[in-house]
Amino acid sequence: MASVSIRNVRKSYGPVEIIKGVSIDIQDGEFVILVGPSGCGKSTLLRMIAGLEEISGGTVAIDDRVVNDMPPKDRDIAMVFQNYALYPHMTIADNMSFALRLKNTAKSEITAKVERAAGILGLGPLLDRFPRQLSGGQRQRVAMGRAIVRDPKVFLFDEPLSNLDAKLRVQMRTEIKEMHQRLKTTTVYVTHDQIEAMTMADKIVVMHDGIIEQIGAPLDLYDHPANMFVAGFIGSPAMNFIPGSIGGDGFTTEDGSRLPLGGRVPAASDGRPAVYGVRPEHFRLADEGLAAEVVVVEPTGSETQMVLRPLGTKAGREDRKRELTWVLRERTGARPGEVVRIAPDPALAHLFNPDTGLRL
Amino acid sequence: MSRPLRKLLDKAGMAVCVLLLVSPALLFFLWMLSLSLKFEIDNGAYPPILIPERFAWKNYTTILEGNSFLLYFWNSLIVTGAATLFALLVGVPAGYGIARMRAHKSAVVIMIARMTPGLSFLIPLFLLFQWLGLLGTLWPQIIIHLVVTVPIVIWIMIGYFETTPMELEEAAMVDGATRWQIFAKVALPIAKPGIVVAFILSVIFSWNNFVFGIVLASRETRTLPVAVYNMLSFEQVSWGPLAAAALVVTLPVLILTVAAQRQIVAGLTAGAVKGG
Amino acid sequence: MSILTSSDRVAGAASVGRTKRLRPSYWPFVVPALVVVVGVIVFPWVFTLWMSAMEWRIGEEQRFVGLQNYVRLATDVRFLEAMGHTLVYTALSVVAPLVLGTAAALAFNTKLPARGLLRGIFVMPMMATPVAIALVWTMMFHPQLGVLNYLLSLVGIGPLQWVYHPSTVILSLVLVETWQWTPLVMLIVLGGLASLPTEPYESAQIDGATAWQRFRYLTLPMIKPFLMVAVIIRSIDALKSFDILYTITQGGPGTASETINLYLYSVAFTYYDIGYGSAIAVVFFVLIILLSLVLLHLRQRSAWNSGDGK
Repeated sequence: MASVSIRNVRKSYGPVEIIKGVSIDIQDGEFVILVGPSGCGKSTLLRMIAGLEEISGGTVAIDDRVVNDMPPKDRDIAMVFQNYALYPHMTIADNMSFALRLKNTAKSEITAKVERAAGILGLGPLLDRFPRQLSGGQRQRVAMGRAIVRDPKVFLFDEPLSNLDAKLRVQMRTEIKEMHQRLKTTTVYVTHDQIEAMTMADKIVVMHDGIIEQIGAPLDLYDHPANMFVAGFIGSPAMNFIPGSIGGDGFTTEDGSRLPLGGRVPAASDGRPAVYGVRPEHFRLADEGLAAEVVVVEPTGSETQMVLRPLGTKAGREDRKRELTWVLRERTGARPGEVVRIAPDPALAHLFNPDTGLRL
Repeated sequence: MSRPLRKLLDKAGMAVCVLLLVSPALLFFLWMLSLSLKFEIDNGAYPPILIPERFAWKNYTTILEGNSFLLYFWNSLIVTGAATLFALLVGVPAGYGIARMRAHKSAVVIMIARMTPGLSFLIPLFLLFQWLGLLGTLWPQIIIHLVVTVPIVIWIMIGYFETTPMELEEAAMVDGATRWQIFAKVALPIAKPGIVVAFILSVIFSWNNFVFGIVLASRETRTLPVAVYNMLSFEQVSWGPLAAAALVVTLPVLILTVAAQRQIVAGLTAGAVKGG
Repeated sequence: MSILTSSDRVAGAASVGRTKRLRPSYWPFVVPALVVVVGVIVFPWVFTLWMSAMEWRIGEEQRFVGLQNYVRLATDVRFLEAMGHTLVYTALSVVAPLVLGTAAALAFNTKLPARGLLRGIFVMPMMATPVAIALVWTMMFHPQLGVLNYLLSLVGIGPLQWVYHPSTVILSLVLVETWQWTPLVMLIVLGGLASLPTEPYESAQIDGATAWQRFRYLTLPMIKPFLMVAVIIRSIDALKSFDILYTITQGGPGTASETINLYLYSVAFTYYDIGYGSAIAVVFFVLIILLSLVLLHLRQRSAWNSGDGK
C-alpha cells in the first residue's frame, strides 16, 4: 500500500498539450476516481501513473519515490484494463498467476495467492477455463483477480465497467467497492460515468480539457461545485442554469422573472450578470416563481422527471437550452401543454459568474 | 411463380453456376491423374480415353526408381525447409517489430520486393554465388529462396501482430514482463495462427519455385520442379511418366491446399487486401 | 536505447529534460530480418543498377559504358516486340480473371452445400506447382493428341494449333494464366463481399431494386476497392509471369510469345550478357513500379471508405 503524489504533470504529443499541469495527492488506502468527459486526459493520466505513457513534465511519485523514468514492471502496480486484457492463450489460473510466475515466485505461494483471490471473487470453479469461455462479468472479475494476486502498492482501473450491461455494472460497482473496503489498497479509477464516481469514490477528481476542475468528496462536489462545469457534470439529470442578473435581494432572469436568493446576495453585485444554478430536484410548486409550460413528462416509477419551457421562450432549437428539468419525488397529473409555476429552494441554489464559470 | 419454387430455382441455378466454375479445375486434375495412369498406347489414342482398362502403375515406379527422383525430392525438402524455417526465424520477430513501431513505411520495401521479378535478383546473386564458390551446393538455392519466403512471412506477420490488441502487451508490461518475455509469452502464442499461415504459404511458394532452380541448380542439386522440367526437355518424352512425375511434384502442395484451405485463404486475402 | 532498470538511478533522474524510454525499443526484433533483406533484396537491386552501366559478359573483361545498354534497348527490335507481347499478355491476363473471378465470387457468396470443399477445389490451380500444371497443359494443347482439340471437335470447332502457331500462342497462354489465377481474384472479391453491410441491401429491396440493380448500384461500387486490389496484384503477377511461359513455349514459336521476362532470361543466362540483361531488369523493374503507382493512385480514388487498408 502506498500514497501517490502527482505534481504539476504535463503531457503533450508534439505541439498538442493534452494534460496541462495537474497535481493530485492520493493518500494511502484512498479510493480516488478520475472523472470527466472523453478526451479530458483522465486515461492518459492513469497511463502515466502506470508507466505506459511517458511524462512530458512534472513528477509522479509512488510512496515518495519519483517514478517518472521507471518502467511499469518496476512500479509495483496492477492495472485493470477496459477490455480486460486477459491473455487468451492462458487459463484463468495462469492469467492470474502470470505476474508471479515472471518473478519466479514459489509454486506453493502462487497457488495460495490465486486461491485466495479466486475465493474473494468467487472464481474458484473457473480456474481451469480459458477467457473465451467466460461471460463479460466473469472476465471482469478475472481481471480484478489478476490485480489482487499481485498485492501491489496501487490498483489502477481504466474504465473497467464500460463494456458491461447496465445491470452487471451496478453489481460490479458494489463488488469493487467491497473489495476495496476489504483490501484497503490505494486505488486510482478512471471513468466517464459520474454515477460510478459518486457511488464508489472516497475522493473525486473532475477533469476537463487537461486540467483539474475540482477535487473533493462526492457529496462535497454535489453540494458545493466550484464552477459551472462541475455543477453541470456531477448530478443526473444535470443542474439547470438560468442566465440573468443579480439585483436588490434577488435574481432577475433574462425574461424578467424574479428568483429568490435567500439573503445570500454577494457584496457589491447589484445589477451584475450571473447564472442561477438549481438542481432539478430543488424546484417546488409555488404561487409565485417561474411560469413554464410542461413539454414532456417522464415517469420513472420512483420519481417523475419533467421538461419545462419557461413562458416567453419559443420552441425552436435555440431555446432548447433554456428548457428546465424538474424532478419530483411524487407522481403528478400534469400533462404536456399545461402551465405550472415553480420556485427554486433558495438555500440550495448556486450562483455562477457567466464569464469565468466560477461560483460566486 | 410461387416464392418457394422461385427460391429453389435460384438455388439450383447457383449450384449449376458453381459446378461450371469448379469444373475447369476438377477436370484438369482428373485428366492429369488419367494421363499419369495410362500406358503410352492409351495416351496416344484418339478419341482420348479418360479411364483406361489397365492402369499403368509402372509410370510411378519408373520415376521413383530412376532419374534420382528421391535425391531431387530430398533437395526440394532441404531448400524449402531451410528457407522457410529461416524466414520464420527472422521474419516473425521483424513483423512484430514493424507492427509495434508502426513503421508502415518500411513495409513498402517488402511490398516492392514482392513486386520485383525473381529473375532480376538472379543475375547479381548468381554472380555473388559464383564468386563465393557456392555453386554446386544447395546453399545458393536456400539463400535465394529467402527472397520469396522472408517477404511473405514478414508481410503476413505484420498484419497479424497489428490485429493483436496492444492492451494485452500493456497488461504484461504492468505484470512485470520484459520485452522479450512479452514477445515470447504473450505476443507469440497469440500470433500462432498467423505463424501457421505464414509457414504454409512460405512452404508452398518455395516448393513451387522454378526460376531460381533452372539457373542455380546443377545436376545433383536440382529441386523437383526443375527435375520434372528436365524430364521434358532432355529425355524421350513419354506422357505417362511425365504426368506421373508432375503429379508427384505438386501433390504435397495440393494436399496442403485442401487440408489448410482456411489458413491459405486467410493469408492470401489478408495479404492481398492490405497489399494494395 | 535501453530500458532503465537500476532503481537507485531512477530516484535521482526525476528532473525534467531527460527523456528515458519507458517502453521497450523494438529495433532488436527487426535487425536480423533487416540484414537478410539488405543482403538478398536491396544489395541485388543496387548491384543490378551498377551492372547495367557495364559491358559485362561472363568470362570477359568488364568495361564501364554508362547508358549505352539503355540506348541499345531502345533500338532492340526483339526487346520492343517482347514489350508488346508483355502488355497484351498482361492486359488479357488481368481482364479475364477479373470478370470470371468476380462472377465466381458472387456465386460462392451464397449458401451453397459443401461450399468449403468446392472452394478448396476451385483454389487448387493457383497453389499447384506451375511447372507441373504447365507440362499437363502442354500435353492438352497437342494439336493431334491433345484433349482440347478433341473437346472442340465435339462441338464442331477446330482443330486449333494452340501454342504451336504464332497467332494463337498468346491467347492460349492467357487461357492457362486465367485458369490458374481466377481463384485469386475470386478470393479477394469474396473477402470484399463478406465485408459488405447488409442494411443497404435490405433497404434497396424495400425500395424495389432488382437483383441486377442491386449488383450495379450497390455491390459493384462497394467492392470497387477490392477489385482494384485484384487488378494491382494480377497486373504485377502477369507482368512477372515466367514458369508457365518458359515451360510451355520458351517464348516460341520463334519469338511469338517472348515476354520481357523471357527475353531477360535469354540475354542473361543463355547469352550470359550480364550488363545488357541488367539493363533489361532495371527497365522491367521501373515498368512494374510505375504501373503499381498508377494503379495505387486509381485505387486511392476509388476507395469508398478509408478504413479498408493502408
